Amino acid sequence: MPWVIAAYAVTGVALVGYAIHLRAARRAALRDLQRRS
Amino acid sequence: MVSAAVMLSVAGALAWLLWLTGDVGERIATTRWVGAVAGVLIPVWLLLVYYAPIEIAQGVIQKIFYVHIPAIIPTYFGFVLAALGGALYLRARDDRWDQLAVAGAEVGVLFCSLMLVVGPIWAKPAWGHWWVWDLRLTTTLMLWFIYVAYLFLRSFAFGSDTAKTFTAVYGIAGIAAIPFVYFAVDLAQGSTMHPSNPAREGLPPEMGRTVGVGMVTFIWLFAWLVAKRLELAALQAHALVASRVRSA
Repeated sequence: MPWVIAAYAVTGVALVGYAIHLRAARRAALRDLQRRS
Repeated sequence: MVSAAVMLSVAGALAWLLWLTGDVGERIATTRWVGAVAGVLIPVWLLLVYYAPIEIAQGVIQKIFYVHIPAIIPTYFGFVLAALGGALYLRARDDRWDQLAVAGAEVGVLFCSLMLVVGPIWAKPAWGHWWVWDLRLTTTLMLWFIYVAYLFLRSFAFGSDTAKTFTAVYGIAGIAAIPFVYFAVDLAQGSTMHPSNPAREGLPPEMGRTVGVGMVTFIWLFAWLVAKRLELAALQAHALVASRVRSA
């Protein structure tokens, strides 16, 4: 069972982590766009 | 039924992403519907995984297959999108297609990485080894390196037209590795430890349904992530144009 939990936990962390990264990068890009325009 | 749902999801997600790329700024609002579909599918897939029968030979670790196998579809999808976006960029010289190619490659690498991490988590208790230099594993690792190199190339030459052209050609050439990965088990002619492709193994209905729902879930999750990455690329491109106008 620990192997199964590890596999699903890794998947969850990777996908949620990437989505959070995209959200943070989008906010930074919006700030950058406002600053430059 | 399940394979039809998978094929329809791939076709639907591809059509939506191509339509979205046409005008990300105006059409990005549709992403929330795709996110909602993925949000509904995730708990359904997890429930199916939980209630799927335990396989006699492997025991509970076989449930790792329900995340490992579905990850292959977004991997191939992402790399095909990188090639398709690259080809459309070479034809039209329109940055939107280049952004689609980069988004496909990046999210494809994410799912390929997942497959390469989750596979060994199953292999350790099943084979007694984290990794073996088997043809399927080696070709998958090779595919991962090809598209990681693609992303490195892009990050080193952001905004350059030469880099866009080069990576478009590279992305198209890269998909030549996909058939080697897919047919690796057949090419190895019995000298591989990796199980053969599930479509030919004929899984029992409950297991096949769980794999199928996992595939559909991952396809829509992939499409949602690619759309978010496309939106980011469009914003970054606007910021770059704004800074050039300001400094001119």
